[in-house]
Amino acid sequence: MMAVRTIEVRERVLAKNDELAAQVRARLAAARVPAINLMSSPGAGKTTLLERTLTDLAADLSLAVVTGDVQTHNDADRLARHTDRLVQAVVTNGACHLDARQILTALDAIDLASTDLVFIENVGNLVCPASWDLGENTRVVLFSITEGEDKPVKYPKMFQQADTVVLTKLDLLPHVPFRLDQAMACLRRVNPYLDVISTSALTPDGVRPWYDFVRAEARPKSPR
Amino acid sequence: MHELSVALEVCRMTEVRVGAAGAGAVRAVGLEVGDDAGVEIGNLQFCLEALLAEPPFAGARPVILRRSGDVLRLAYLEVDDGCPDD
Repeated sequence: MMAVRTIEVRERVLAKNDELAAQVRARLAAARVPAINLMSSPGAGKTTLLERTLTDLAADLSLAVVTGDVQTHNDADRLARHTDRLVQAVVTNGACHLDARQILTALDAIDLASTDLVFIENVGNLVCPASWDLGENTRVVLFSITEGEDKPVKYPKMFQQADTVVLTKLDLLPHVPFRLDQAMACLRRVNPYLDVISTSALTPDGVRPWYDFVRAEARPKSPR
Repeated sequence: MHELSVALEVCRMTEVRVGAAGAGAVRAVGLEVGDDAGVEIGNLQFCLEALLAEPPFAGARPVILRRSGDVLRLAYLEVDDGCPDD
């Protein structure tokens, strides 16, 4: 029998991801390009919101997109119809979240010098993406009114780490038993500091507050 | 849901540490997991057992230490030190 000894490690399991996220952050900062990490449950409307955003803000902003899916390029194909730029598709092959290494690789294919803002559309999931820093500046969580009002208290980590919550599908409010006041109370309970933006991506003016937010986040364009 | 990713990363970290220490076979892998770490303990245990049963870890056992908060940390490794114990 060999003698057994103990090696003390005490190292965070996600330390490597955090190191790569710091590289993403540094690269974006050097190019003065902010990144928004969009997260939500599946079907909350991330792709639909991005489709409209890419179309409607194309004249003002040069927007790059990295989109993650467990399988298929469906989201990337949808988004590609709304932008002249190449959409970076990440197929995670079963993984339930994007990680910083995937973003670092995607950035290699993005011309940051001609980019005002990078959108990262995470895998639809209210649990795992909250644990993985991608090097983003801003974490936005979409919360659709076809979900339950109590989603923030059921998935507190996601909403605690968010900077902004986008309520989606507000046009459906007359048709679903969703109590907006209860949802807001749940949001405030887990994170009193959240900014909340209400949207409806299917109505003409339903995304205006979101566009104001995106414009404020984007790198100011240099004079041309 | 990302327990397999976590378990794979734990194995990668273990290989790095064992290599750096010039240690022998790994006997146990100690992991601190917080209640708010976003990790399902039973699932993580299952993934670690499956991965640690394969080379180069054959025989290593995962030891999960429950903690409060969101800590998720490789705490210690028990390894053969290459010397007979008698």
